[in-house]
Amino acid sequence: MSTIDPILWNDWHPVAETCTLLSGPPVETVLLGVPLVIAADADGAFHARRTDDVPLHQDERYGLVWVCLGTPERPVLAIPEADEPDRPAVTVGSIRVQTAGPRVIENFLDLGHLGYVHARYLGDDPHTQVLPYKVDALPEGGIIATGCKMFQPQASPAATEGFMVDYVYKVERPLATCLYKANPVHRDRFDVIFLFAQPVSEEESIAHPLLLCLPDGTTAADLRTFQQLIFMQDKPILENQVPKRLPLADGAELPIAADKSSVAYRRWLSKIGMTYGVIPAQARAA
Amino acid sequence: MTMVPGNWYAVAAEHDVPAGHIYRTALGGNDQAIRELAIWRASDGAVQVWEDRCPHRGVRFSLGEVVGDELRCQYHAWRFAKGGACTFIPAQPDMKVPGSIHAKAWPVAVSAGLIWTGVDPVGEPPVLGEGAAIRAVPVARPLAEVETALAQADLPGLALTLQPLGDTETIVRGLVANGDCAAADRALAALRRQLECVA
Repeated sequence: MSTIDPILWNDWHPVAETCTLLSGPPVETVLLGVPLVIAADADGAFHARRTDDVPLHQDERYGLVWVCLGTPERPVLAIPEADEPDRPAVTVGSIRVQTAGPRVIENFLDLGHLGYVHARYLGDDPHTQVLPYKVDALPEGGIIATGCKMFQPQASPAATEGFMVDYVYKVERPLATCLYKANPVHRDRFDVIFLFAQPVSEEESIAHPLLLCLPDGTTAADLRTFQQLIFMQDKPILENQVPKRLPLADGAELPIAADKSSVAYRRWLSKIGMTYGVIPAQARAA
Repeated sequence: MTMVPGNWYAVAAEHDVPAGHIYRTALGGNDQAIRELAIWRASDGAVQVWEDRCPHRGVRFSLGEVVGDELRCQYHAWRFAKGGACTFIPAQPDMKVPGSIHAKAWPVAVSAGLIWTGVDPVGEPPVLGEGAAIRAVPVARPLAEVETALAQADLPGLALTLQPLGDTETIVRGLVANGDCAAADRALAALRRQLECVA
């Protein structure tokens, strides 16, 4: 029996992109401190194993290989949009970040940084005001933020002009989040962007963004490039947050109304008793 | 020996912090947490020594930018005035910023070309005399060892002071009376080699 946080130990985590495995050597990675090797065989099947050969559970979804080190209590996160025939699943690479997974997820939910960290793409000074939005609990656990709006000069590769973009954000698992944003061509339908944070250790993660975008003339390569650019703008911020673990106690950091989704995310992690990659509320004084 | 509350420590030379610049360093010791510091100079020349961490989401201030007499955090562009009070939050531009939103500002004294701070420092910083501020020399040894070595070394014309950086890291700072910074640098580099080679 592992002493690692059972919430993560018994959940599924992406550990490698299938396209990388098909075209290259095996991927060596670490999940929750456990070294893994993932390889494709001659028939194109994927095999994940622990380097100590202790058995694990494996699955393959959305262009990613998923692993559960403990006893899976539920399947890999269901993504209904992945079944829509006009939405190819595009993975964006596996990007190592020297911070805790929950910091990576919280940053994805954050509206206030768009005009600065992603200036001239996902926001711009002086259109930096975060208008009021709504945050609710999801019935199966997690949170949903609705009614989010942000003026974006270059919302995606296909955008030809700035426009007010509507967003919905969800966190359905502690280290899995997604957003729905209006597609610049099909403004009545939404592009869906997921971000999974693979917990390498308590203070290191690997980000796996996944795009489920509508066909708007953008190639998969351009989508990848754009999303990598955006993530590379976030990376230096994430790696300069102190402490690396997300503090869960109210008042440990100082949120304002615009940070409603961050507050809800932290409170939800507290409520479910998450301990890995966070500073639990009761341990704050330690 | 480690950082002692009540003492002043030199943590930068004035020339490390030109107007508009943010200088990153730390102060710590054997049995205390390392305190990361962001030292910056406002356009009016005033020097600030702050904890290197925005109270909003913990991003290091040293990643940010000096805008006039304020420091702007790189993450959400919150602005903080000298003394540490937050003055503007772009996500809620019409909100009067609550007084509770505050950077942690450390005491600061500027004397003899050096910038000094400390935890509840008492009185004035030590008087090192006259001269030019030398280039800081980091030594990968605990403060007590560096202190002993300096006391035994023959370093004429040098007035030195020590900044404990971590468990085993110390920065030597100080003044050289005749202004020959290159000679001071050579002498201290030799001392550093001697100290670091003793395992």
